[in-house]
Amino acid sequence: MLAVTETNQPPRVLIVDDDADIRTGLVDVFERAGFSAASAGNVAAMERALATNGADLIVLDLMMPGEDGLSACRRLSGNGRPPIIMLSALGDDADRIVGLEIGADDYMAKPCNPRELVARARAVLRRRGDDTAAPGERVRFAGFRIDIARRELVDPDNVVIPLSAGEFRLLRAFVEHPQRVLSREQLLDYAFDNDGDVFDRAVDVQVSRLRRKLERPGGAEIIRTVRGEGYLFAVKPTL
Amino acid sequence: MTPRARGLPVAAYLGALVALALAAAFVATLAVVIWLPPRPPDVMREDLVAGHFQVGYDRTVTTGRPPPETGLVWNIRNAPPRTEDSPPMAALQHRLAAALHLSGGQVRVAARHVAQHDVFVFRVRDVEGEAPPEHAPGEASPPESTVSRRVVVVRDGGADVTIEHASDEASEAEAAIPARLPHVAPPAPPPPPPPLPPLFAPAPEGVMLISGFEIGAQLPDGRWLTMRQGRNWAEISWIARAALIIAAALASLSLLAIAFARRLTRPIRNFSEAVQAVGVNPQSEPVTEEGPQELRGAARAVNAMQTRLRALIADRTKTLAAVAHDMRTPLMRLRLAAENAPPEQRERMAKEIGEVEALVASFIAFARDDPAEEARVRIDLTALLQSIADDHTQAGRGVEFDAGERIIVTGQSLGLKRLFSNLIENALKYGAAARITMSRSEGMILVDIDDDGPGVPAEQRETVFEPFVRLSEGGRGAGLGLPAARSIARAHGGDVVMLDRAQGGRVRVTLPA
Repeated sequence: MLAVTETNQPPRVLIVDDDADIRTGLVDVFERAGFSAASAGNVAAMERALATNGADLIVLDLMMPGEDGLSACRRLSGNGRPPIIMLSALGDDADRIVGLEIGADDYMAKPCNPRELVARARAVLRRRGDDTAAPGERVRFAGFRIDIARRELVDPDNVVIPLSAGEFRLLRAFVEHPQRVLSREQLLDYAFDNDGDVFDRAVDVQVSRLRRKLERPGGAEIIRTVRGEGYLFAVKPTL
Repeated sequence: MTPRARGLPVAAYLGALVALALAAAFVATLAVVIWLPPRPPDVMREDLVAGHFQVGYDRTVTTGRPPPETGLVWNIRNAPPRTEDSPPMAALQHRLAAALHLSGGQVRVAARHVAQHDVFVFRVRDVEGEAPPEHAPGEASPPESTVSRRVVVVRDGGADVTIEHASDEASEAEAAIPARLPHVAPPAPPPPPPPLPPLFAPAPEGVMLISGFEIGAQLPDGRWLTMRQGRNWAEISWIARAALIIAAALASLSLLAIAFARRLTRPIRNFSEAVQAVGVNPQSEPVTEEGPQELRGAARAVNAMQTRLRALIADRTKTLAAVAHDMRTPLMRLRLAAENAPPEQRERMAKEIGEVEALVASFIAFARDDPAEEARVRIDLTALLQSIADDHTQAGRGVEFDAGERIIVTGQSLGLKRLFSNLIENALKYGAAARITMSRSEGMILVDIDDDGPGVPAEQRETVFEPFVRLSEGGRGAGLGLPAARSIARAHGGDVVMLDRAQGGRVRVTLPA
């Protein structure tokens, strides 16, 4: 796993939640994980904290008295704001999509595994450095469209092609590293959360499935096999 | 509460249509009156008829056959035609007999209708008083006698005065008949039979007009030659023209009526479609207020209902969000507290919290389950099932899917995903492995999800779709997965049913292709 950032400073996380127990609990969890954590009880306090101390990441509750998380997130969206992980009591797919479309970088439903939250926080920070597509955006390539928030692929005929979680992560890795040969190890790293029990063979299976879903009569080959090296996403995606 | 809807009531539309129909009928009648020449008379001049018969008789005598003709019907038969004892006919009979050189008994004349063409002078005299301007100056008879004479002329044959007069006037016209007589007389048969003289000609004043006549004369061999007035062909073409005008009026009227009906029913059709859309999706466009007044009122009522419905949904969404918040915040607190517990206890607590959370999630999902909320898109069903199966396989659960042809359906992406995820999870709850097969039948798409569990007893195959029904006592979950799946399928125009299977259970999803 990649290190969070190679600076001496630990990443600063700002926890915004109206429930005091959750605030202190999360601050504990993040500090144990090596973050520098601060907390705010509402959006106004969050803004004060951002103005005085700044933050590298915000964990934002959705439903709070006063201004809610969605509207704060929408307002903060734009250049230079820290990445946001929404932590919400609304856990439906539809809620998740709304959160991601509004500009959150990730979305987790309460109650969540605190260690998973930390892992996702790290992933978000890592992605930040990569300058990749934000979840609310839509990436296009060869007539296809990826709706990252919905984890959906839409083909040139406007038919939704559902992807499995693995296929989606794989496609996202390809789209974020286009026209570059990606080795099986790299793909494993990007797409399989490094579970450890996934083998190269599984990558080949996923790639061939994904390829079948991208296959269109008369269409160009989108994912090319580079013998002995890995795979290449042969088209250039546009935002 | 609501102001009166604009637009005309249906009754006004219908009234206008009826008025239009009447107007069209009136126009047609008027057109017949204005555009058609006067109906041709079916009366014929007595003198011409007599002359005609005379020539025909001579031709029959020479050729032995009655002349072929369309307007009049000629016949040779053994019995004399029936006659009526009418004095004007008697005079004609007499003249004809003389012309044909037959005795009076050998000629019979009958007519249903006898009139005299003589009206105008009388009318003018009556208006102008003493001096009739159209009256011939050379006429010797005194005005009184003229009046008395002309008063009766239009009367049907039979009156005494008419006879006198008729014979009077006929004597003038009769000049034509004797003139022809020498040509038609007995002499040697001329090889080409002379053409029959015309039957119609302008009738001078005082000529006898007859209709429905039959004239018979005994031939030299004792049989009778008869000439009957046949159909008036000129009249038929007149009728045809009148019918044409009326048909044209009717055709244009029906075109108009169709346009009218369209105009009246289009808003009704649109309305029913719009109302159906509202029934499926309260977020759909409001119904347009158009068409007749009643319909506009109904559209307005539906729109008001839709607004209330939307407010209700918004309220419910808010309530559910509050419930979710209030239930999940303590769970999150617990989960964070568990982090401080020793690892083995932490895992147990996390598992229990996870189960409570799953219950909460299914309650909320079921309560907010609104199949109408999500937009419908075209979605690759094969890829959907494949992706769900792959996710389970990835997590180490045995879900098998035979991907066949690519099937694309129109539906809600999240809804369909939930539908199949629920069913597959249910299958995995009762068995160790699930198998998905897909097929087409009669315009429907069938997706069968088989498990290797104990199956569902026949009498419980319907009750499992009721909320909060769980088959096994120890079963986990709230018993909402199947009802939610069914409600999603039904919102898509399909269904979910439990089927009989030799081993294990089978759930079948039907979706419209």
